[in-house]
Amino acid sequence: MTGQLEQLLDEFVGRWARDEPLAVDELLVRAGPQSDELAVLIDRFLERAPRREPTPDALAFVRSLDDPPLLRARQARGLKLDDLAAALVETLGLGEKAREKVRRYYQELELGQLEPGGVATKVWDALSGLLGRDARGLAAQAPPTLAAAPMFREANFVAEDLPLERTAAAETNEPDEVDRLFGVV
Amino acid sequence: MSELTHSSMHDARDAEDDRLLRSGEIDLLLAGWVETIDSRCVAKMRGPVGHDVGQAVCERLWKELKGGKHRDGRWPFRVIVHQVIGYVCAGWYEKGWGENELIEIDGPTADSFTSDVELQLSLEAFVATLPPGDGEVARLWLIERLEIDEIAERLGKLPNALYQARSRINARLREWLES
Repeated sequence: MTGQLEQLLDEFVGRWARDEPLAVDELLVRAGPQSDELAVLIDRFLERAPRREPTPDALAFVRSLDDPPLLRARQARGLKLDDLAAALVETLGLGEKAREKVRRYYQELELGQLEPGGVATKVWDALSGLLGRDARGLAAQAPPTLAAAPMFREANFVAEDLPLERTAAAETNEPDEVDRLFGVV
Repeated sequence: MSELTHSSMHDARDAEDDRLLRSGEIDLLLAGWVETIDSRCVAKMRGPVGHDVGQAVCERLWKELKGGKHRDGRWPFRVIVHQVIGYVCAGWYEKGWGENELIEIDGPTADSFTSDVELQLSLEAFVATLPPGDGEVARLWLIERLEIDEIAERLGKLPNALYQARSRINARLREWLES
């Protein structure tokens, strides 16, 4: 074992023994070209070690698992709804005027209020890139509608996540590119 | 704590997991595993994408727990956790994997359970491979989780001597983890 690898393994086991955050990704970065070797050692150690006591953060995370999967994926990335809508508009090559509708459709999708079957592959690909997860798979896990579980809707949603009102002035009868991308035709 | 061996620590954690499962405290049960899941996934996936994978593991376990699975106590919950970690990590980059809800993980096969999970995975087994002197240091470090100064005080040795022992232990630990 090289000195550096030995030192990093020692540091990892020390963190584990002292109930400190393990920060495995940081250790892997420091391991440089030996990160593969260190990763195997850490993985096998954790497989063989008893679990530690749960932290309050871990408990809060588990209790958030009833939220819609797309919502959790977005929050895990630290993206506000407006941020995601803007990025989606850019990724899809849509104009700035499309942002409000994209935001609304995406939020409906996130909340299980928009049928995912009609959403274009291009949108799923863009979302997967932005969320770092298989967005189509996440949407498929979503509960049918939030109306089925009002308790967590009230508890977990913040004001910025509230759907925008559909305004008659903003609507036209002719489906546009955004409608087609989200299957709203 | 000081009276516990690592195997008995596993047993104690298994018993606690079983109690949480039977009492319906599944949020506490899964929360106890979140760090292990996240850290193992980061290691297996070789980087930050492991956090996303770990989240998917937690989602799957949560769904199964809420669905009433694993309550028969047939396998320790840790066994299920490690099985699901392996399954999700292995399939993460397979196209359409996220849509696949059909593959069931009810628990390990008899072979994998006896060979990979139950018999080999205790750190106590590692400590037992060491000569008595280093073995005692490893026991105090890995099982009782004492700091080096505390170990020195307990054994009546100088910390410097223990740093050398720990270096030897690390080398042996690596060999054991790679075996």
